Amino acid sequence: MKKIQIASLFVFAVLAIAVCLLESGTLTWLQSGLLGVISPISRSGSVVKSSIGTLGKDLLSLDQLQAEYERVLAENRKLRAENNGLRDLQQDNDHLRQVLGYRERSSFRLVPALVLGHDAGVWWSTIKINRGSADGIAPDMPVITDKGLVGKISAVSGNISEVLLITDENCKVAAKVEGTKEQGISAGSRDPVGELRLTFLSKLADLQPGQKVYTAGVSGGIFPSGIALGMVKSFHARELDGEAILEPSADLGTLEEVFIVTGAK
Amino acid sequence: MRKGILFFILLLLLPIAVAFQDLLPAIPPFQARILLLPVVFCFGVMALPLVPSLFFALATALVQGLVLLQIQSGQAELGLTVPVVFFLVWAIVLQMASEATHGMRWEVHALGSAVVTLTLLGVEFVVLCVRRGGFPLEMTVLLRIVIPSVASLLVAPLLYLMLRKMVPVFIEGAQLPPKPNFSR
Repeated sequence: MKKIQIASLFVFAVLAIAVCLLESGTLTWLQSGLLGVISPISRSGSVVKSSIGTLGKDLLSLDQLQAEYERVLAENRKLRAENNGLRDLQQDNDHLRQVLGYRERSSFRLVPALVLGHDAGVWWSTIKINRGSADGIAPDMPVITDKGLVGKISAVSGNISEVLLITDENCKVAAKVEGTKEQGISAGSRDPVGELRLTFLSKLADLQPGQKVYTAGVSGGIFPSGIALGMVKSFHARELDGEAILEPSADLGTLEEVFIVTGAK
Repeated sequence: MRKGILFFILLLLLPIAVAFQDLLPAIPPFQARILLLPVVFCFGVMALPLVPSLFFALATALVQGLVLLQIQSGQAELGLTVPVVFFLVWAIVLQMASEATHGMRWEVHALGSAVVTLTLLGVEFVVLCVRRGGFPLEMTVLLRIVIPSVASLLVAPLLYLMLRKMVPVFIEGAQLPPKPNFSR
């Protein structure tokens, strides 16, 4: 073996040991750097992907487009009417909250983001979005859609971030069940079926399929109270507690746009 | 010099593979993913000489470890030790396979990609089970390991052809099998 090969192997061994001994702070910094490196490819790839996805939609016939237009117009009128009603309700609600001295919890500062892609990691449920530290995004910020909670920011780079979805085993959310006093901890599972498991409920909890579950907003937690989390599919008592299986409120498989909660208004 | 250029091209391919595998759609019905990183890794360690292939394995481990990095209570859940050991072991095994077959062959590359993907997902699953507790070895879990491995087996020949075109220097430098001698 040549001297240069021996020297290279020595350098390699030192590097390998150094890599294995890296601390979590350095790893986070390196991960942010890697996200920055792949960011241009992810962004341009996402644009190409969405262009291909909308190709078929552009080829609709005139009749189909006319029907679609009329349907959208009717839906728009209906939504406007609903919106007016809801605005009145919101004013009433805000007034009641002020009267009761509650903090206004339902109003968030939201940053819209596009989903660049679902990560290919098999045992972790994460997505990448096109917002990063340049947009004021920081780790642990909640991510939502109009349907409900999506997850939390787990890694941030300049203009790209990674979101840990609520269906991941590591994303634990304090939750409460609508119409009851039941509270528990929701998390995903390693057996990736896209459901949530709400544990630490009372064994005698009388939960029915269809009941809605919201974030509980515990003190020191990262998720504000009152965000829709999911819907009860089933409930069973275990040895020490009760467990409910939930269907997530947000459709996590087809996410395209999300909002990052950067704070309260 | 040529091997040096090949090494740097392969290093560039690692983050590109990561970005592309995220853009690829999941395979229904179990939402299994197509992994490109193990395919690029197998190509790299088989195309490069031993010492550069070890450095390439280290780079792959670093990228894979950072892609999967999840910090829980201030600690990295998977860390980098597991990927480093995993990819180094496979780099040595694939180097030996490459030598045994007198240079690089697409069949060995395809088979290697599938086996590396299978073992990578298996090792990740076992490590997570040790860290988090429980061992939910159900059919969906097995399929989520097997389907990406089969996908790697199918994708590997395509990537092999693409990389051969992108990296022509590799063919010139490869050890070709000895020509049969028919003269008596």
